[in-house]
This record gives sequence, structure tokens and C-alpha cells, in this order.
Amino acid sequence: MPDADKHRPADPTEREPEPIEINRQARQRLLAILGSGGVSYCYQCGACVGDCPSARFYPGFNPREIMLTALLGGIDRLIAPDSVIWQCSNCYNCYERCPQDVRPVEVIIALKNLARLESDPPPQVRGVYETILKTGRSAPVIGTLDRKRESLGLPPLSRIDVAEITAILAPDDDEAEEGARKDAGPSAPEESA
Amino acid sequence: MKATFFPGCLIPIKYPQFEVAVRRTLPRLDIEIVDLDGFTCCPDPIFFQASDKLGWLTMAGRNLAVAEAAGHDVFTICSGCTSTLCEANHILRTDEALRARVNRRLARIGKEYRGTIEVRHVVALLRHRVGLDVLRQSVTRPLTGVRVALHYGCHLLKPSAIMRVDDPDEPMILHQLVEAIGAEPVKHDERFLCCGKACTDPDLPLEMTATVLRSVKRTEADCMGMICPTCFSSFDTGQLLIARKTGEHLEVPPVYYFQLLGLAQGLSPDEVGLTRHRIRPVALLEKIGNPVK
Repeated sequence: MPDADKHRPADPTEREPEPIEINRQARQRLLAILGSGGVSYCYQCGACVGDCPSARFYPGFNPREIMLTALLGGIDRLIAPDSVIWQCSNCYNCYERCPQDVRPVEVIIALKNLARLESDPPPQVRGVYETILKTGRSAPVIGTLDRKRESLGLPPLSRIDVAEITAILAPDDDEAEEGARKDAGPSAPEESA
Repeated sequence: MKATFFPGCLIPIKYPQFEVAVRRTLPRLDIEIVDLDGFTCCPDPIFFQASDKLGWLTMAGRNLAVAEAAGHDVFTICSGCTSTLCEANHILRTDEALRARVNRRLARIGKEYRGTIEVRHVVALLRHRVGLDVLRQSVTRPLTGVRVALHYGCHLLKPSAIMRVDDPDEPMILHQLVEAIGAEPVKHDERFLCCGKACTDPDLPLEMTATVLRSVKRTEADCMGMICPTCFSSFDTGQLLIARKTGEHLEVPPVYYFQLLGLAQGLSPDEVGLTRHRIRPVALLEKIGNPVK
């Protein structure tokens, strides 16, 4: 016992801390997602918190705690539909501040990617994603837009070949193989993104 | 100088008057705008990247490949497009395995990313390639006495190691661009605060936005200057949402930098779309001698 603790009065309300559970398999699910790798280097200094606008305005949001939960493998909680990850503002302050190059914002983006694969992202996120898949643009185009643009002296919007987008966003052959391997049974964890 | 124009989605669709301002001001800085066919959404660095990161990189790689075929460097007019295309350009240049993977996908449509061009936000093009002297020489009506509270937004500057535009903790680029057109740049206390647009909670973005707007209001600037349509939407439409929710009427007029540049080059407030804003820049229009009727 450290010396300081010897002089500490006994606290009758103090309870034994809950044992910490580590779910390595769940963590591997995150580490298989592009951009998540930095989380392994997080040493919990909290440099990401001080400059985080979401932590400032939304008491439940703390990037250090999100990194810790991810490291311990609490992935299901982090990708649940009501998870705090959706309150990240994507400002990249944590990316600038982190002395370990963890890039917490990128880990959170990877968690969001996992949420689309395994859970249920918020409707506005799905909305933008699906609008881009269907039209190639992030904002809906209304019928009168070209006339409005013409009245301003602007050229019409360029045509988008959505079939090209569909073609390049289809999964790779080896991704399909990976999926089949995972279905067949457990395999060695993938370290590379 | 020829430069390929990447228009993105939000400005051409929601704020075409900003596009007008860009298209009318750049030729006076000896920039020849090259329009290309075939660009899609950059795609969106927030919700699209959050949904399919590899797909995000692939679509961005396709846009870069379209630009590479024309040979000129690209300029963007939205911080979101800048973020996606600069980051993707960096990742695809530095990660050979990912580049090969993306190129296998692009091969399906007969395209290839090679990494031969640079992407810059148009303000970086002005500051780093055109230069302040040329900008000053294009001014026919200096915006003397106009005080502009600057809001840089997040994605022009960060991640700084990739964007390489300015120091994200003490940026000067927009200050210099505002000074060059005769106006006075004003620092406000919350100049580094994000607009919160990416947060899905209904109240959180409004709290961030209101905090920024109150900070701008304290400076008694004539307008709030910015370079990103997402910031603009947050601070323009956002003010109406704040007023509806809390009854607080902030009346801080947000403007896009190229509207100010257009005024300084002699364009009328109507030509650069300033008369169509929800929050009218009354003090700004008075100071340049075009009071609101």
C-alpha cells in the first residue's frame, strides 16, 4: 500500500471497484475498420478533452473515455443507436492535440463505420449517405434549380453518371472472400486496416 | 493561371450566389476557371465518411482522377470538399496498399488515381499562389471601415499536417485576405469554436452556434466573414432556429468572403447575392454606400 493511503481515513461508503472486463474479440472488430489503428496507442492523457467542443457543451461526451471504452472492447455500447459517438463535431482538435497520434476523431469515424455494418446510425446520417449513393450529390436538387442558376448567369449542374459510383462502391472480391471466411468460422485477427 | 474548379454540392445547389461571386472575382486575379464534366460529391467528409470510409476514399479518388486527366491543380470553394479531397490526396499518395486497393476499384470504370495534382481551398490559392499584391490591385472600392469578424471553421486548417494552410492556433490567412480588400479583420473570443453541424443531437449544434454568434455580437463587427457553406448555413439558418427555440434574436449577418471581394472589385450587393440573405448585412451595406431600402 502506498504511504499516502495509510493516513487516509476509512470511507464507509467506499466499495470495491467493479472488475474491468476486457473484450478482445470486440476490439478486433473495430481494429478491422480503416482508420481505427491509432486507438492502440492511447495512454489516456486527456489532451483530447480540453479542446473538444462536444465535451464542453455535451456532458456525456468525452473522447478520452471513448478511447478507453474502445480499448477495453466495449464496442457494442459505442455503436448502439443512442451512442455519444454521434455527438463528435469532427472538428479535428483532438487530432491536433494528441501526443500519441491516436487521432481520436478517426477512431470515432471508424466506430461510426462499424455502426453502419452492425447497428443503426441516426436517420440524418443514413439520409446523406443514401442521397449520395442515389444521386452522386449530398443535397437534393429541385426541378427549378437550373432555371435559377441560368438567371444568375451560372452554367447548369454537370450530369452525374450514378452507375459509375455504384460500380466503384461495390465491395472488392477479396472483401467478399473475407466475409465468407468469417462466416465459416473464427480466423486470425487482422492487424492491418 | 488555369485552375480546375471543383464546385461541390452545397454552394451550387443551396447558395449559387456564392458561386457567382467566385466566378466573377477570380478572373480579375488572372485565374482562368476550368470547368470539367464528371465530378460527383467530394463525397461528404462527415456523414458519408462515417458510413463507408473506403467508399469515401474511392469516390474522392475518382474525383481526383477526373481532375488529373485535365492536368491543372484543383480549387475548392467549400471547406468540406477541401477536407475530403486534400485528405484523400494525402492518404492515396502515402499509403501504397490503399492506393492499389482504390485503383482496383477505379479500374472498373477505366480510371486511375496517380497523385499528380494539388487541391487547395480557393483562399489558399489566393494567399499562396496569387498573392496579396495581385489581390490588392484588383480592388476598385476598398471596404474602408468595414469590420469583419472572421470565423475560419475547422476544415480549412485541420489536420494541419495534411492541410498545410496556416497555423490552426493562430491563423492569419483570412485576416490578410480581408485587409487586402481594405476592410478591418476582427478577432472574436470564440473564433476557434466549431459550428457543431456534424452533431446529431438537436440542441447541441444550436448551443455551439449561439455561443459563436454571441461572441461575434460582442465585437460589434459589421458582419461575420467565412469561407464554408456549412458554417454559413449554421450561422444563417441557425439564427432563425435559435430565435424560434429561445426567442434570442442575435442579428449577426454572416457573409461569404467572395461576396466581400466582389464588393471590393466593384460588383453590386445584388450581383453577389448580399440582398438575398436571411440576416441582412445592414451595417455593411450602409458603409459601402448601398443602404437597404
